[in-house]
Amino acid sequence: MSNGIVTIQDVEKEYSLGATVVKALRGVSLTVEKGEFISIAGPSGSGKTTLLNLIGCVDTATRGDVVVAGKNTAQLSERQLTDLRLNTIGFIFQSFNLVSVLSVYQNVEFPLLLQDKLSSGERKKRVESLLEQVGLNTHMKHRPNELSGGQRQRVAIARALVTDPLIVLADEPTANLDSQTGQAILDLMKSLNQQKGTTFIFSTHDHKVMRYANAVVRLADGKILGRESPELAVAHAVGMDAPAAPVQAAS
Amino acid sequence: MGIFDRMLWLIAARSLLQHRLRTSLLMAAIGGVTALLVMLTGAYVGIKTTLLVSATTLMSGHVNVAGFYKATASSSAPVVTNYKKVRALVEKEVPQVDYIVQRGRGWAKLVSESATQQAGLGGIDITHEPGFRKVVQVKEGSIDGLTQPNGILIFEAQAKRLSVKVGDTLTIVAPTFRGTNNTLDVTVVAIAADIGMLSSWNTFMNDQGLRQLYQLNDETTGALQIYLKDIEQVKLVQEQLRTVLAREGFGMLDPDPRPFFAKFDGVNRENWTGQRLDVTNWEDETNFVQWIVTALTVLATIVIFALVAIIAVGIMNVMWISIRERTREIGTLRAVGMQRGTVLSMFLAEGSLLGLIGTIVGGIGGVLGSIAVSKAGITLPPSWQFVFFSDHLVITPTLTWVGFSVGFITVAIAGISLIPSFLAARLKPITAMSHVG
Repeated sequence: MSNGIVTIQDVEKEYSLGATVVKALRGVSLTVEKGEFISIAGPSGSGKTTLLNLIGCVDTATRGDVVVAGKNTAQLSERQLTDLRLNTIGFIFQSFNLVSVLSVYQNVEFPLLLQDKLSSGERKKRVESLLEQVGLNTHMKHRPNELSGGQRQRVAIARALVTDPLIVLADEPTANLDSQTGQAILDLMKSLNQQKGTTFIFSTHDHKVMRYANAVVRLADGKILGRESPELAVAHAVGMDAPAAPVQAAS
Repeated sequence: MGIFDRMLWLIAARSLLQHRLRTSLLMAAIGGVTALLVMLTGAYVGIKTTLLVSATTLMSGHVNVAGFYKATASSSAPVVTNYKKVRALVEKEVPQVDYIVQRGRGWAKLVSESATQQAGLGGIDITHEPGFRKVVQVKEGSIDGLTQPNGILIFEAQAKRLSVKVGDTLTIVAPTFRGTNNTLDVTVVAIAADIGMLSSWNTFMNDQGLRQLYQLNDETTGALQIYLKDIEQVKLVQEQLRTVLAREGFGMLDPDPRPFFAKFDGVNRENWTGQRLDVTNWEDETNFVQWIVTALTVLATIVIFALVAIIAVGIMNVMWISIRERTREIGTLRAVGMQRGTVLSMFLAEGSLLGLIGTIVGGIGGVLGSIAVSKAGITLPPSWQFVFFSDHLVITPTLTWVGFSVGFITVAIAGISLIPSFLAARLKPITAMSHVG
């Protein structure tokens, strides 16, 4: 097994839906290296969100190993998993998932308060700097419901990055945004990836979004079809003949 | 409180504000129950205070030195012989004493031209009764009339029953302590306002008149009623007196927390003669009416618990709705690294805040309501006067009881909030995040 920041080995995930057992992931193996900007692509129901949830330690695998930042998540207690999420992972959700009663500044500051590592001054500096990077330094006192969809997603990005996580997971981050705003969000994520070297793993079913990734992991029916270049993945996604480029193994 | 705790309280406060109508209704309910509890505890204190005042005016001091004299083993008289020596001893040995009065005690039939009534007789030296003048409200006649050897003060209900007014004559028929019946004609010199149940069987006559009726000498009285500077010292002084009197060679009865008239049978069965002293307090002398206070306390407690139970259901429902509405938020917070305990604290803060604000508002409302009711001087129906020891409703909210009411309801609500909060904290992040609705 390679020493990536995320290593997934022969993972299966089953859900019970009444008497029926649904296999969301079937023997998935994947390695993500530090600093990658990787997309998990596939149609609805292919297992993208399940895979992100396993990497994000909000769900556990039925079988197989999920190793995040060197820790096998199956061997961690609930408290340890929560700590791992707080200190290692940042989340960007499709529906933004901001705390509606807190201001933009407080939403971004919240994970730092949970960490309780920085002084008040350091926290302020970090939050303000991030809000400036995402272009919301003039909206710090606004509540989420006073912002547009794009602005909310920028707040979510700032919140995900505020703890300096090793990995940022984004589940369809542009699905609720118009294409122009979506592009701006992806540009922002990409630039933050390049500036900070943070690993980004984002899911999408949109071939336009795949183009932003360094690599695309294609999923279908709970299985990884391959790890490809964005161009190849887009070609597969739109049903064109694939360009002459090598297909890598997923791990 | 750290900044993180402040953030949790902020979330709690803003979440409550976000649903103003729901929060207001619930706070009104909590406030209403708290106000009711404040007023009920105020009524309890009012009744106890009124009972204390009326009991310590009509039939007891804070502490009493009384006792029985037995000429033969089987016949006893409720008197203290040589009381002046006892009084001097009390004054010397007990610094907590404010003042002492001596009262004759008797039980007789009052006969008017149209009716009769059994009543207790208190032999009173009105020139040395500072408390009596303050409490007994004379409606007709003058309290100073009790300086006349044949003067008697009765209460309104008695005057009505006997059909007498000031200046009329009553004949008192009483069995003396020597076993014979004696009669005395007395003049009604004052009619006082009723003081609840206790005034229904108490009358007061001139001390010398009572001695004449019972053929007692000047060295003998019914009881020494001792009033203290601080009523909290009652138990201590009681113990002190027992020790001092025993040390000085007075025969003592065993401690028995009952009024003197309930002790005759027991004393008459004991095989001794002469004088024995008894040290009681005001609660002992009124323990036959303490059941009223106990019954009212039990009733109030049942009412409060029933209301708290109703509020509990409301709180639980509101918390459930709040948690259902915010399930995705819980999932998000758990996903970004909030521990279960913190989720619990967050919802607990919401419940506590709701409870605290509701109870403080209710507490203030209860105090204002109590003051308004007391100032309104609402006259109670006669049957209620009997129970409340007063002709009007007295509600006395005290800081202790208001604090208790606010604290109790707040803690109860926080405790109730704990159940939904705990279940919210147990939600798995994935379950919470995928919640629909």
